[in-house]
Amino acid sequence: MFRNNYDNDSVTFSPQGRIFQVEYASEAVKQGSVVVGIVSKTHAVLVALKRNAEELSSYQKKVIAIDEHLGLALAGLASDARVLSNFMKQQSLSSRLTYGRAIPLERLVSSIGDRAQTNTQHYGKRPYGVGLLVAGVDETGPHLFEFQPSGMTQEMVACAIGARSQMARTYLERNLEKFADAGREELVKHGLAALKESLAQDKELTVENCSVGVVGVRAEGAKAIEAFKLYDGMEVKQWVDLVAEGNETAEGGMEVDS
Amino acid sequence: MNHLPQAWGRPRDDVYGAYDASYLQSNGPNQHTQSPIVTGTSVVALKFKDGVVIAADNLASYGSLARFTDVKRLRTFADTSVVGFGGDVSDMQYLDRLLNSLDTEEAYSTSGHTLNAKNLHTYLAKVFYKRRSDFNPLWNQVLVAGLDGEGKPFLASADLLGTTFSSPSLATGFGANLAQPLLRKVAPDEEAASKLSQEQALEAVKESMKVLFYRDARSLDKYSIAVVTKDGIDLKEDEKLEKQSWAFADQIRGYGTQVN
Amino acid sequence: MTSIGTGYDLSNSVFSPDGRNFQVEYAVKAVENGGTSIGIRCKDGVVLAVEKVITSKLLKPGANKRIATIDRHMGAVSSGLVPDGRHFVSRARDEASSWRKVYKTPITTADLASRMGGYMQAYTLYSSVRPFGVTAIVGGWDSELELPVDGQVGKGPSIGSGGKVEGKKYGGPGLYMIEPSGIYWGYYGAATGKGRQTAKAELEKLNLSEGNLSLLDGVKEAAKIIYAAHADNKDKDFELEMTWISNLDGPTKGRHEEVPKDLLEEAERLAKKALEGDDDDEETTDKPAEEDKMEE
Repeated sequence: MFRNNYDNDSVTFSPQGRIFQVEYASEAVKQGSVVVGIVSKTHAVLVALKRNAEELSSYQKKVIAIDEHLGLALAGLASDARVLSNFMKQQSLSSRLTYGRAIPLERLVSSIGDRAQTNTQHYGKRPYGVGLLVAGVDETGPHLFEFQPSGMTQEMVACAIGARSQMARTYLERNLEKFADAGREELVKHGLAALKESLAQDKELTVENCSVGVVGVRAEGAKAIEAFKLYDGMEVKQWVDLVAEGNETAEGGMEVDS
Repeated sequence: MNHLPQAWGRPRDDVYGAYDASYLQSNGPNQHTQSPIVTGTSVVALKFKDGVVIAADNLASYGSLARFTDVKRLRTFADTSVVGFGGDVSDMQYLDRLLNSLDTEEAYSTSGHTLNAKNLHTYLAKVFYKRRSDFNPLWNQVLVAGLDGEGKPFLASADLLGTTFSSPSLATGFGANLAQPLLRKVAPDEEAASKLSQEQALEAVKESMKVLFYRDARSLDKYSIAVVTKDGIDLKEDEKLEKQSWAFADQIRGYGTQVN
Repeated sequence: MTSIGTGYDLSNSVFSPDGRNFQVEYAVKAVENGGTSIGIRCKDGVVLAVEKVITSKLLKPGANKRIATIDRHMGAVSSGLVPDGRHFVSRARDEASSWRKVYKTPITTADLASRMGGYMQAYTLYSSVRPFGVTAIVGGWDSELELPVDGQVGKGPSIGSGGKVEGKKYGGPGLYMIEPSGIYWGYYGAATGKGRQTAKAELEKLNLSEGNLSLLDGVKEAAKIIYAAHADNKDKDFELEMTWISNLDGPTKGRHEEVPKDLLEEAERLAKKALEGDDDDEETTDKPAEEDKMEE
């Protein structure tokens, strides 16, 4: 029987130049429940689907606030995300202490990217088993970044990762042009609509299983920011109800795959 | 010459006797810098309507010896801020290299993030405070001139103790005694400074530099002066004090070389 | 492939009986799948360019830069695993800054290539690491003038720093390419990644060794080459990213910067035009992939 000998550790290239351990780590991301991020000219939002282990248990934490100006959503191993988010909190705080400046997002995201890369080049380490969407604002406006276990980080206009996230990405691609000029509320609604696309057949969005994170600037190009805020439970009811009404989005006429 | 490097270049012990090392500390805690060696004197700065004027002379003294007369004590950062250094010159060189490497790091990403003068001042103050807490101070007092995050004129000082201070006009060293009152007359508060024109500010600073040259024995009439605005930095490093008048000098007993 | 199943290709730092380190060769495979990167050494500067294949419509256009600044006067671009490229850049930046700390002067392109060649070679020596999955192209401008020593306060000695010999010319453009094995060469024109064969063929037509190509023309040629190299991979969209370093009198004043937007667009326009004109005289067919061995 064929056996892949090249997938035992992250320091072995396959003859095709692939590193299987890293590819397997990205499979762990797909085991996590779906999270969506979208960015406009003024805001960046994160929307997440939470899972609970059983009926009577609590729901998992999917969105983490890092600093006043940014937060992240995770899909995959939550404990890996906690290690990375703690590191990000330290970096962010250290920038505020030494320079009196909110850390530029690209730099923060690259710093975890570099950390993750190290784990793919040294024996005895394993790649992180988590994908992140990092949303925030800095001097240059709102941003959304995707982080992958390979250490790859990319700036996105919109993104979805986690289980069945392809459906959400399809929704995002179809509505891509609408995001840039969308208002804060509209952006959240698009996020939830994308999330809904990825739901399993017997599931629906409820106040229990939705998390929303919002951060932005007060106006396009403005310095004053609207700090990152995480909405949970009844705080998301307004949005969940809106999206739950039939299959309509804000503008109506959402395309539905069947 | 023998095989002991510490003896190389010394007078021979067998002829001149052993080196008298008694002044060197042989026990007790580690000591670092106890005093500056080669020093620069005052730095003077004043805010105006759209920016800051800052000046310092081009002298580095070794004690009372005017040792180097072409020293640039105003250093630019990222074409947006100027740092004026008073105090130890080698510590200034160290800080200049530190700021240079910080500037290089900031320029890695092209996305338009720069440290403004306020960020720079926060950073320098942290460096000073860390070093003094290690009992190994950087023996300087610096003025940071530029713009803050809102694009408003920014001027602040930081010193070897990690002390920070901000005011519409600032002066270090001898200038803190002599120039500061003159500058305060021109700009007693922020509001007055925000009404000053660039010409007025330049004139006040140049006048201060002149008075300092008259009365500060560690000063020079060659100086550097910079104007920082949102349009960038206009730095001149080879200026000469103009319209000097020494008529007052022979009226004063004990001034200069005249003793009685 | 003969290497598979022999067992000699499962660990880094292990020689096969015929003296090859397969893991390094596999790392080269990762490079060969990456977007094409090129560098051109012109008489008055250096151009770096890369074909960024667009993997998703959701990526922010124009963001996600792949050419990095190593020091003020130097840049690097790589093909292969992107996170490995970032590791390379991060180390190169550390080397450049530590060089400045020690010597109080910017590192030359040749010295940086040497340091990075050593660093990448070290990742072929141990079974506890894997080689870099990138080939990197480093371009820089070594100052032709006497630079002030970093942090210097006065005018300094009239002969300048660093024990220079009178009458000898110093400084100029530098271009080096460093491979996963750690081997590096200096180039007039360098290419790596998926479209390297086409790019190399195009580079050879420029007669770069004669040293006549100007930086401005170099920018336009670089755009043409990336467009030509992409022609074999037409089904995917791509973005062209270009940076340059001119001499001290030139447009970037010895600094590594992005090629300005208007010039980039002009170069892209010319590149597209050249490609359309080329469509009828299709002469390049895929050559067999060359055996990239870890050379001695």
